[in-house]
Amino acid sequence: MNAYAANFAVSCVAEDRREVDTLQRERRLNQFFAGVEKRALRIAEISIRNRDDALDLVQDSMIKLARNYADRPDEEWTPLFYRILQNRIRDWQRRQAVRNRVMVFFGRGNEEDDYDPVAAAPDPAGRTPDEELQTREAMQSLEAAISALPGRQREAFMLRTFECLDVAGTAAAMGCSEGSVKTHYSRAIHSLRDTLGEHWQ
Amino acid sequence: MNERDDIAADDAFAAKAKTLFDQSVDGLDGETRSRLTRSRQEALAAVGGGGSRWMQWAPAGGLAAAAVLAVVVFTPTPQLDELEVPEVATDMEILLTEDSLEMIEDLEFYSWIDFDAEAGDGEGPTNNVG
Repeated sequence: MNAYAANFAVSCVAEDRREVDTLQRERRLNQFFAGVEKRALRIAEISIRNRDDALDLVQDSMIKLARNYADRPDEEWTPLFYRILQNRIRDWQRRQAVRNRVMVFFGRGNEEDDYDPVAAAPDPAGRTPDEELQTREAMQSLEAAISALPGRQREAFMLRTFECLDVAGTAAAMGCSEGSVKTHYSRAIHSLRDTLGEHWQ
Repeated sequence: MNERDDIAADDAFAAKAKTLFDQSVDGLDGETRSRLTRSRQEALAAVGGGGSRWMQWAPAGGLAAAAVLAVVVFTPTPQLDELEVPEVATDMEILLTEDSLEMIEDLEFYSWIDFDAEAGDGEGPTNNVG
């Protein structure tokens, strides 16, 4: 009887510990998502130029990370999350390319042309109208130039520059070698500098 | 521009791009922030729920599979000798035999024979070729 009671007590303690672990993990994951979600949204939005769809992609990525990789070490979450997001972005772009081909076949225009960067631009943040206008125009130019980059260069530039991932983290997120990351990043930044010109800087 | 200047220019460019990006992140509107928060809550609700989506459909899937199996097992199947071959199938069989295909290829010739036989009161075709 004593052995049974002891086993029961041990199992209760183990159960309590599991619950505490789960709660702590959820809290850490919440902090991680809160820290990364806005930047992830803007990165997705720059890639696909559609805020609603970008929100959906970010949500899908968060759910996938929470469902499948929440038990992985915290330091792996960032590259894992961006790897999921980049895969979602690529899938979206492939579907969109097929959709556009079908639309062209049936004589419908490209709805991407309806994207209005001014309407989609963020709200002002306490700047004077001139400063705000300059900042907005500079960001629009940058977004347009980034959008025109080849996909892998775009990913490398945004993950390295906007998300501040190191080369190894970017390689993990992109699913390629560190050498490829360096090459893509270098080509991207030179291409952007050429496109935007000296006056932008 | 030497290599050091080039690297410095790259760094300056990246720094400006990062500043602009951060400003655009800070300037996200309230509705978008709210949607992100809801998305985060939904994601957190899915923690550790790897197989839950499949598991919640398991009973319905099992019932559906059992129903399909029951229909397959208990539906009487007709015997082979009871099966009626549709007329269309018979026609197709005749058409697709090798002889029939030859006949189709020589249809003009048989038509001429038929016409000539009628003209000659059934004595057969006259050889007027050439």
